[in-house]
Amino acid sequence: MRQEPINRLSEKGLRVWRIYGIFQSIIALLLGVGVGVINYFTGQLIWLYIVDGVVILLFGYLLIYLFPKIRWTRWRYEVREQEIELQHGLFIVKRTLVPMVRVQHVDTEQGPILRKYDLSSITISTAATSHTIPALITTEADELRGRISVLARVAEDDV
Amino acid sequence: MSKEKFTLHPISAVINFVKVLKEMIVPLVVVIAVNGFGGGDSEGWTSYIIYIIYAVLLIAMLVSGIIKWKRFRYWFEEEELRIEYGLFVKKKRYIPFERIQSLNYTEGIFHRPFGLVKVKVETAGGGATKEADAELTAISKEAAEQIKKEMNLAKNKESEIDSIDLSFDSEEQVVEQIQPLFRMSQKDLLILASTSGGVGVFFSGLAVFVSQFSEVIPYETIYNEVIMFIRFGALLIALVVFFVLLVAWIVSVALTFINYYEFTIRVEDEEIIITRGLLEKKKITIPLSRIQGVRIVENPLRQLTGHATVIVDSAGGSLAEKDEKIRLIPLIKKDQINPILVQIFPNYEFGANFTRVPKRSRKFFYRLDFLWLIPVVAVVSYFFFPFGLFSLLLLPLSFLLGAWQHKTAGYWLDEKQLVVQYRLFSRVSLWMEKKRIQAMTERTTYFQKKAEVSSIITTIKSGVSGSAATIPHIEKADAEKLMEWYEPARIEPIEIEKEQPL
Repeated sequence: MRQEPINRLSEKGLRVWRIYGIFQSIIALLLGVGVGVINYFTGQLIWLYIVDGVVILLFGYLLIYLFPKIRWTRWRYEVREQEIELQHGLFIVKRTLVPMVRVQHVDTEQGPILRKYDLSSITISTAATSHTIPALITTEADELRGRISVLARVAEDDV
Repeated sequence: MSKEKFTLHPISAVINFVKVLKEMIVPLVVVIAVNGFGGGDSEGWTSYIIYIIYAVLLIAMLVSGIIKWKRFRYWFEEEELRIEYGLFVKKKRYIPFERIQSLNYTEGIFHRPFGLVKVKVETAGGGATKEADAELTAISKEAAEQIKKEMNLAKNKESEIDSIDLSFDSEEQVVEQIQPLFRMSQKDLLILASTSGGVGVFFSGLAVFVSQFSEVIPYETIYNEVIMFIRFGALLIALVVFFVLLVAWIVSVALTFINYYEFTIRVEDEEIIITRGLLEKKKITIPLSRIQGVRIVENPLRQLTGHATVIVDSAGGSLAEKDEKIRLIPLIKKDQINPILVQIFPNYEFGANFTRVPKRSRKFFYRLDFLWLIPVVAVVSYFFFPFGLFSLLLLPLSFLLGAWQHKTAGYWLDEKQLVVQYRLFSRVSLWMEKKRIQAMTERTTYFQKKAEVSSIITTIKSGVSGSAATIPHIEKADAEKLMEWYEPARIEPIEIEKEQPL
């Protein structure tokens, strides 16, 4: 059995994902309310109200609590001298190896919510693929970006 | 380095004109058709105006063609190819020779009588626009040779390591033409033409053509006529369909024949040179160092007759017109492939001894298809009751396909390369050098985890983006072995040096 990568995302990342989850749940809620309203004007079926409510609650539970939690515990990364290893995925676990020689550039990015929590995402691009580590503390991400770009420069190879 | 500025051959003006005309042909035909058919209710003088507009347009095109030719200059300076062009705005583009990936030559019908070629200059970037970075519409063959010479001169100056290249160069001077490694026989060409999927291409072309007309054609009247037509008898329709198919097939055979006539491959200066074409002689150059992967594709029909196609994935540029997968050998007998490929790609090992997928993962090959097929079949059976039941046949068919895919899937691992074999319908065997693989991912679903299998996804560069190949549902232990093989931790820097292509 291969060792899992050692580093985890920032704990604050989990909180950010919960916020995203809240946004997604609001959409689900609006849809659910829509169904409720239609039901009110057409049939007023009691069971449909109940199903509707349960579905909304279920979505909220999954999107705000469960999925972010699984995602966060699953997410691991490790930057070694010769390669970067990532592990992530909700239902499907993906483990990706990116050799340093293949790295073309590294970007860090910060949206409004991430900024509020002083987080950044970091994207590693090769000639053909790109891989994102979603939520790292900004200083950590900057430091990592610098480290990767130095390591990537050491090992040059053709495409 | 000379600073003399060169111009294109005057025939360029004509070629420019024809090119613009070609691009305009569809809208023009549409406009003319509208005026021709719907002209009855418009008054006489308006149609005259329209003809005058055509005439003006044509003249404008011709003049712009001439100006484009007149304005175009190219020269060599400071190890760059510099061009100057532009119809209204004068543009200059400097391309450093070392950035040039390839020079592609095309000889069209206009080029042939004058011994001219069209030269496309391609660099690694610029692929996004799907256009060559520079295009010299028509220059003499000697001038084309000179560009190549200047480029090689500049490139060799850059790096001393290429001493081997130099020796190759001088050899070339003496021999002039290196014997082709592969020449497609007339018989193979005919087989290729008659079994190609060109029919589909033709139909998609037809669809595009029709969609161009969609706003113009009065569908309602056509619809009424079609109803009439249907009353005329189903037999007639069947005949027409057959006839259309036949014509489409003949056209595609002819097109393939014209496009792939005298198909030859040569290797010169670490470059693969493909020449083909009857009316328009095309010369495609692919630097060996740009090649990311080699695939052998056997569609089921050709697998029966023992034929295959060889396709290479090349990085960057807009090497092929359509996409970045270049047909290296359009059709070849399976047993002749290896000797040729060994000569072209000495870095690869072409014998293969595949590790197959474990038996217990067979279910993964069709289970997902069932998941979406069952509701579809249910719906179809319900709504088209008696005949809809035929859709039930899809289930055993998709099971058989899955089983077939399972049987085909496999991989072979060598020290320096990974070979993947898989099938959608056609069997594909893909050779990848370790150093060309951009990233490798091990993918495990919940069900795969329970069955202790994993999929491996490898991505190589192909064109401007990537191309992923999946080794599906192999033993978990094998997947980890692959990941370990790919993990570069053990490689010493010296070994990296050694792995550089010659």
